[in-house]
Amino acid sequence: MSAPGARRAPAVRAAGVLAVALGVLLAGCTTAAYAPTPLPSDTPSATAEAAPAAPPAAADCEDPLASYAPSDQVPDPEDLPTGSRAAEIRDRGRLVVGVSADSLLLGSRNPLSGQVEGFDIDMARLVADALFDDPDAVELRVITAAERIPLLEDGSVDLVARNMTITCERWDQIAFSAEYYRSGQKVLVPLGSEATSLDDLGGQRVCAPGGSTSLDRLAEFPDVVPVAANSHTDCLVRFQQGQVDAITGDDTVLAGLSAQDPYAAVVGDTFTDEPYGLGMNAEDVDLVRFVNAVLAEAVADGSWKASYDRWLAEALGPAPAPPVPDYGRG
Amino acid sequence: MSAPAPSGGPTTVRGRLPGPADTPTRLRLLAGVLVVVAVPAGLLAAQASWSASASLGRAADAADQLTRVQGVQNGLLQADADATNAFLIGGLEPPEQRVRYETAMGDAAQGVAQAARAQPADAEVLAALNATVMTYTGAVERARATNRQGLPVGAQYLRVASGDLRADAIPLLQALQEAGQSRAEAELDSARTAWLPAAAAVLVSLLVSVVASVWLARRTRRVLNLPVVVGGGVLLAVLVAATVALVVAAGTAERVWAGSYAAERALSDARVAAFDAKSNESLTLVSRGSGAAFEEAWQVSATTVGDRLDAAAPLVADGADLVAGWQDYTARHEEVRALDDGGGWEAAVDLATTTEAEGTNAAFTAFDVASAGVLTSVGAETRTALDGARGSLVLLGGLCLGAGVVAAVLGWRGVARRLEEYR
Repeated sequence: MSAPGARRAPAVRAAGVLAVALGVLLAGCTTAAYAPTPLPSDTPSATAEAAPAAPPAAADCEDPLASYAPSDQVPDPEDLPTGSRAAEIRDRGRLVVGVSADSLLLGSRNPLSGQVEGFDIDMARLVADALFDDPDAVELRVITAAERIPLLEDGSVDLVARNMTITCERWDQIAFSAEYYRSGQKVLVPLGSEATSLDDLGGQRVCAPGGSTSLDRLAEFPDVVPVAANSHTDCLVRFQQGQVDAITGDDTVLAGLSAQDPYAAVVGDTFTDEPYGLGMNAEDVDLVRFVNAVLAEAVADGSWKASYDRWLAEALGPAPAPPVPDYGRG
Repeated sequence: MSAPAPSGGPTTVRGRLPGPADTPTRLRLLAGVLVVVAVPAGLLAAQASWSASASLGRAADAADQLTRVQGVQNGLLQADADATNAFLIGGLEPPEQRVRYETAMGDAAQGVAQAARAQPADAEVLAALNATVMTYTGAVERARATNRQGLPVGAQYLRVASGDLRADAIPLLQALQEAGQSRAEAELDSARTAWLPAAAAVLVSLLVSVVASVWLARRTRRVLNLPVVVGGGVLLAVLVAATVALVVAAGTAERVWAGSYAAERALSDARVAAFDAKSNESLTLVSRGSGAAFEEAWQVSATTVGDRLDAAAPLVADGADLVAGWQDYTARHEEVRALDDGGGWEAAVDLATTTEAEGTNAAFTAFDVASAGVLTSVGAETRTALDGARGSLVLLGGLCLGAGVVAAVLGWRGVARRLEEYR
């Protein structure tokens, strides 16, 4: 080992160590590149497209339209028998009604006034007027179609005035007033579509609210892809966003939807009968009688027709003859 | 150094350096050891100082990014609270509420762009967030335009917009916050432990200096080898200074983590939950009687606000005022609920939309302004403290490196002088 070599060796080694250390140093000082923030995994959409349940086995009843017979004229609120449901409501001071706030013409919130208004709402106000001498003594609870029966059953609402079809299956759970309007199911399609009925909509996505008779009816058209939404207005949003191709529902409801969208058209004839009734708790027979008396009076004194003319005449034509009440339940 | 022992047999003498028996070779060996120890020791301490400084800087950056992300979330939920509240009034929303909505959305959009630039790792999620924000603003504008025409479908667009915002944007924002928090935590952690290698460098260089000096003293009949002692002393002094600075910085990191940074996170969480609650208050009323699910969501959010405010209150000035301000709002919310549940929907809406002092909006705005002020100041506190902790670490790192080189040169020279005596 020569002297110069010995002298150099540590220096060379030191330089080597220095270089390695500097490398480490630089690695530590440069901006740390973090792993990309992971995207959250896709969660299933809250409004999953649910196929309608198979249509409930048609419960047999002699005559779904049969309701309870009222007294000859609307009882005076003072004379309501103690302990009756109607008297209970009278003492509370307001009638709690389940309504729709987005079915234009039937029951919808007027964004300008903030008031919920429409043909169904008028019916509810007639009942309130008879009970309290004040059509405004109503608490309007906005409910979805699927909530109608549960809320009646648990007593959260006294009355449902929300384009509700009288059916035998529903009579098993709740009670109905006499029929106050005869509607029927139609389809709403984009303007220019050649379809005129559900038969023409094979393979297309057709929207209807969950829990409605309209959705049940879709099961009879196996080619149609049913899409359940929260409400008919939700259907219209999906229709406008191209998520569904058509909407089915009662002519009254569809008239309200097409009034909001000039590129939608209601086509064809009604292919079902949808008799509307006011829903009540199955136990509240006295209230049903009271309501039937109110409805009969409204037909007799012209307020039924006035309300029809105000809301529906423009979209559905002149007022038909009011449905003939059927009091077959005694 | 691993000079092989000559085959001449075991000749190791006193002293701890094994090796060839002749003194000049041992001296050369010693010089090499001094160089090889001093330079890496300086490097090690320099690296510790610099990386601690960089970690603190990145922790501050991560905290800033969290502030940005939470600002975006605040902006979105505030905009949503204003949009839903305006809907209760009808097509004619108050201009000032509209301005607030637009300001909040503008802040959110800017926040997304700034956050994407500040942290490229977040870019993908921020891009997805941007898409949901665009969908949301589109739906809200559609809702407004439709509402203005008096069509009920407008309210549905609003509900869809509000629901999608919660379903799509909030998980993205949460992913960003989780990533930011774990980054900040990791950086503060590495800053907290950076003093360890520096302290190890101190110990090694102390040991080597002492051993070398003792060995030289015995070998060379001089009590002190001045260059070696001075070199070792300089290196030791600088390394000790760096270690002390690193320990202090670790303490600061600890304090910021548990103090202003914790307060910032708690306050941010509280504000996000508060805006969520305010939106749900409006949505409950918009749903008019069937808004029980929104009121439940209000309760959940309000509980979160309470918990997070309680966590933040001891850490900030005026913490008690914030808690009181929030309670003021919740009391008014209860009034609104009592009115609505009692059948007085119109009165409830009046109370929930009025800009007068007795309404929920006034109380909420007061809380909003106060909590935003405190949030800004704790955010600045965090940044200042972390920057302060970095302080002289970069300079000290440079000094460590320099001292290592100086000690190596002095050590080499000190030994070389003794070596001369053998020529």
